[in-house]
Amino acid sequence: MAISVIGEFKDPTELLRAAKKTNKAGYKTFDAHSPFPIHGMDDAMDLKGSVLGWIVLCGGLTGCVAGFGLQAWVATEAYPLVISGKPLFSYQAFVPVTFEVTVLFAAFAAVFGMFGLNKLPQLYNRLFKHRDFSKKAASHGFFVSIASELDSDEASIVDFLKSIGATNVSGVKE
Amino acid sequence: MAEVNKLNGFLEKRFPKIALVVGIVGICGAIILGREDSTQFFYSYLVSYLFFLTISLGALFFVIIQHLTRAGWSVGLRRIPEHLMANLPLMAVLFIPILLGLHDLYHWSDTVEVLHDALLSKKAPFLNVPFFIVRAVLYFGSWIWLSRFFFKNSTDQDKSGDKGLTLSMQKVSAVAILVYALTQTFSAIDWIMSLTPHWFSTMIGVYIFAGGILAAVCTISLVALMLRQFGYLKETITVEHYHDLGKLIFGFVIFWAYIAFSQYFLIWYANIPEETEWYIHHITGNWNTFAIFVIVFHFVVPFFLFASRHAKRNLKVHAGVVLLLIVMHFLELYWVVMPNFSHHGIHVSTLDFLCFFGLFGIYASVLFFRMGKYALYPIKDPRLKESQDFINH
Repeated sequence: MAISVIGEFKDPTELLRAAKKTNKAGYKTFDAHSPFPIHGMDDAMDLKGSVLGWIVLCGGLTGCVAGFGLQAWVATEAYPLVISGKPLFSYQAFVPVTFEVTVLFAAFAAVFGMFGLNKLPQLYNRLFKHRDFSKKAASHGFFVSIASELDSDEASIVDFLKSIGATNVSGVKE
Repeated sequence: MAEVNKLNGFLEKRFPKIALVVGIVGICGAIILGREDSTQFFYSYLVSYLFFLTISLGALFFVIIQHLTRAGWSVGLRRIPEHLMANLPLMAVLFIPILLGLHDLYHWSDTVEVLHDALLSKKAPFLNVPFFIVRAVLYFGSWIWLSRFFFKNSTDQDKSGDKGLTLSMQKVSAVAILVYALTQTFSAIDWIMSLTPHWFSTMIGVYIFAGGILAAVCTISLVALMLRQFGYLKETITVEHYHDLGKLIFGFVIFWAYIAFSQYFLIWYANIPEETEWYIHHITGNWNTFAIFVIVFHFVVPFFLFASRHAKRNLKVHAGVVLLLIVMHFLELYWVVMPNFSHHGIHVSTLDFLCFFGLFGIYASVLFFRMGKYALYPIKDPRLKESQDFINH
């Protein structure tokens, strides 16, 4: 069984400080929760750069090849029509659509890649069992949650969160 | 801040002198050699002239847009484009040789020829020598007025710290952007499009603008990196600012490609002889290879390099990309202007180099001579601290 321990902090500055301390204490599976983005949080939590950019690049290149390929195939193989006396393979004419499809695929890759990396959609998360967390986390509450595979860690994590100034500390089980 | 805000040593004293010598030698050499072939001289001169003019104009645009958008991030580096645009009066003086070469460059200036040419006689009310000169005076008048206004207010603020100067620059920037758009567009029509007076493209103004603003942002970055190499502005222009300049460069690389392609695409599609004529000249012989080279190194390579955040923030890679783009800006203008003269293919002349180094020397000399006389960044701008503390998230 796995558990998460949640502690509340009073403002963004406190949360930033708590995230820094939690990271320093060596916890790997922790998260900071805030209703809005806080500048400097990535550094405080020591998060690595996202791979989303590479996913978008792959999406864009796929779109580029697909868009160009589709038009080239349609114009030369599937429906060869002479348009205003120009050659069948008039790559100049393919550029706008190729560009649009590149942008479309890159945008899809960005949105769905983000969903994937954030493990969304997610219908259930054990953190919601914490009454105050589900009430406040989207409006005015600042929380740190630390997860562990071992239920026996609960007491030590509770002590740790209290020691860095958390209030309202409690553990939630799966 | 313990930042040094004055140039001293080599960059202040010796560099402007060395550059001036290079400039004078280049121009004198070009004049001596150019007497043999005046048309080649004026074409070579025009390419180099347009290169430096578009950079100064791009810098003027950059300064205007910072005030118009009330930008905070760029305050610390704003003095560099201010110095670049302050070279516009110099560009007005350097325009005189083009007036002397009107008959070599622009065949619409030949009144006898115009009489026998139906299209050119229709265009004569606009394309005639007196009106051409009046317009040039108008363009330079507006540019000198604008660049002086923004330069004077900004440097006056160094002494007085008067916040009202910032407000008055913001006010004028709204009018300035309109004046800039019109004068920049019409100057491109006059000095570049009318090289081939039968041809017309409604996109030539924005096309030349796109290349110019890109080269200007690259030049700002390059000058800042050069100053950094000599130990200046290390705390005022940080990696964060280079990152942001990199974003602008990336954006303008795409903008340039978009505009350049759109101009080509519309003409290719419509296939009207008066319009296609221009592109046919520009892809005849090895000009075609040259055009492909420009597409690859003005767009494809910098696009993929600068798509990366790490490349923008790595100052060595950054320097390489901006240098590449500045060289490509010159080559692009070479491709735009030169096929009107060397119809059958690339013809590299010594005059191309002499004119370039001549103008480069004079331009750089005046730039650094002036730079030595003022603070290196707007030391009393109310938003300086905001700029220095700026971080990309």
